[in-house]
Amino acid sequence: MKEISELNLPEDVRYAEDHEWVRIEGDKARIGISDYAQDQLGDIVFVELPEVGSKLSKGDEFGTVESVKAVSELYMPVGGEVVSVNNGLEDAPEKVNNAPYTDGWMIEISPDDPSEAGSLLDRAAYLKMLEGQ
Amino acid sequence: MGDRSTAWLLCEFAQIEYTRALSLQRDIAAAKHRGRIEEDLLLMLEHPPVFTLGRRGGRENLTVSEAFLSERDIPVVQIERGGNITYHGPGQLVLYPIVSLARRKLSVTGFVEALESVMIRIAADFGVSAVRDARNRGVWVKDAKLGSIGINIRHGVAFHGLALNVNTDLAPFSWIRPCGLSDVFITSLAAETGAATVAMEKARQAARSHFEAVFGVRLEAIEPAALERML
Repeated sequence: MKEISELNLPEDVRYAEDHEWVRIEGDKARIGISDYAQDQLGDIVFVELPEVGSKLSKGDEFGTVESVKAVSELYMPVGGEVVSVNNGLEDAPEKVNNAPYTDGWMIEISPDDPSEAGSLLDRAAYLKMLEGQ
Repeated sequence: MGDRSTAWLLCEFAQIEYTRALSLQRDIAAAKHRGRIEEDLLLMLEHPPVFTLGRRGGRENLTVSEAFLSERDIPVVQIERGGNITYHGPGQLVLYPIVSLARRKLSVTGFVEALESVMIRIAADFGVSAVRDARNRGVWVKDAKLGSIGINIRHGVAFHGLALNVNTDLAPFSWIRPCGLSDVFITSLAAETGAATVAMEKARQAARSHFEAVFGVRLEAIEPAALERML
């Protein structure tokens, strides 16, 4: 397990308490899981993602990741309609471990309310939450 | 891992229906997420015969018809845990720890390895040398699987857990390809020791003390009715 100081926590995303991240890109938002989350899970062997077109609210389950006989549920950090999913994870789920903020992204959504991401944690607040656990 | 100053609640059942134990676990995990229950918990129990399928299915690994199973009154239940098809039944000791992993400073891998350690230590108490295999989780005696692991994590709270064959009837395992692997043999402490009977109560006692040692906690017994009142 990484020390908190070793975690890669970019400034250009917002973080949810359940360790998902969201990055606003124009009128779309990308979602994945943080470096902390992938490190906790260990080697990811399977990622289950929603259908394109699914409409999900903040807090809804959008998929699961499976590692070492453990299935973890993933929750929407903001609400919106799924416009694309990262099909590359089907054959290469390890991308979530190796590049959680880039190649390991999970879904892209059209957010219901683009300002909703502003209520999530920034890097400093997320770090503080991790340190307080 | 700790100085045993931390108490976990231990709730034991002689035998409990799979689906009833499942809804109890889900309710406890939800109560922990909402902050209604602070303590981590351990459910220790046996199930009546049941086959369960993991998140990624496993029905294709059933080698007998569902009619064959319904004649014997054995249900097949689809659930959310990791892993593939498995069997639970009398004589198999089941431990369901319901734990806030981050608060315990436990990674998922660390938690799974701790559960394996508990099973390895119980087996050692019976003179059986079991080992882990990082590629195929659970614990093994040579090529045979003695104990299995499957967990689910919701909002950082882990549930489901481990199943260790103490004196389980192993015949139902021949009706499936366990874990979705071919050529996997299943064994039990009774089969390994050649003893006519291996006392379940001795296995439960070993589980209590090794769980406390491995997790560095103290188990405090709570009656099922008192647990239900906390939910």
